[in-house]
Amino acid sequence: MVETAIEWLESTALANLVFTYGWVWPISEALHFMGLVLLVGSVGLFDLRVLGLGKGIPPAAIHRLVPFGIVGFVVSVLTGTVFVTSTPDQYFYNSAFHFKAVFLLLMGLNAAFFYVGPHRVVSMLGPYDDAPRSAKVSAALSLSFMTAVMCCGRMLTFFRPL
Amino acid sequence: MSAFLVWLEDTAPSVLIRESPSVWGFPFVLFLHTLGLGVAAGVSVALNLWVLGWAERYPAAPLRGAFPVVWLGFTIALVSGVLLLLAYPTKALTDPVFYLKLTLIVAALAQVQWIRRRLFDADGANEPRPPSAAMRRSAGAALVLWTGAVLTGRLLAYTYNYLTAAELIRGA
Repeated sequence: MVETAIEWLESTALANLVFTYGWVWPISEALHFMGLVLLVGSVGLFDLRVLGLGKGIPPAAIHRLVPFGIVGFVVSVLTGTVFVTSTPDQYFYNSAFHFKAVFLLLMGLNAAFFYVGPHRVVSMLGPYDDAPRSAKVSAALSLSFMTAVMCCGRMLTFFRPL
Repeated sequence: MSAFLVWLEDTAPSVLIRESPSVWGFPFVLFLHTLGLGVAAGVSVALNLWVLGWAERYPAAPLRGAFPVVWLGFTIALVSGVLLLLAYPTKALTDPVFYLKLTLIVAALAQVQWIRRRLFDADGANEPRPPSAAMRRSAGAALVLWTGAVLTGRLLAYTYNYLTAAELIRGA
């Protein structure tokens, strides 16, 4: 089953693009990192405000940066798809990739929890207001999971199957 | 130059980072470099987007604490970067793209200091104040500089001419 998926992915037009043009992979890598930078910077700054940094600015104001982080995340997902599609065997059998997927899922669940739960209260806070504990826990988890995703991502190279 | 590189690559720390099979060696240093650049470039980009988009509606003073975060990220990226350079000095030092990357980072960091002074050191950091045209230009330039730094940094894996001093000597 996994073999079938791998063969299919390697036969797609996207994979063919990577095999044909040598610049597709390096440029995707650069864009993958630019996406990471946008995500870490904007979501990270919002998380830090929830945790108490720069309290004079209401969290809702800092939250206006979050759409840039989402754009960055989408860029990273799209470019990540380029890597996995063109060399699926290098990821499907790679434990660093399995961990990365788990942390991405946790990142998503934590974000979902935040927007279903404490976001409503947090978005109404004024300058110097303290965020509720549940929001702080979620912000700390957000920072931790982003760091874990980066760590697993960087470890991919070293856990590639032969 | 090549004699120096041969000597450097033979020093114990260089050999250790390059050849250690442990994930706490080269892989972990690479992770720290990614974390550091993510924080430094990321928070700096976010702050400059803030200057371009929302600074006029909020006082700047509360954001003072975000600047040490940029410098913390940079310190992590610098220390890990020096270790990566130590592991593969020939790879970086014989690649013109590496010098372009360093120039872009120096310019981006100079901008961090410049915009910080403009945001906080004048009167009124406690009142909302529209950023000047120069500050907007500077913030826009910062986005380009950080993009260039990340692009050139990531491309170093593909643009190098010689991986080690031995290759340099053989190639030359």
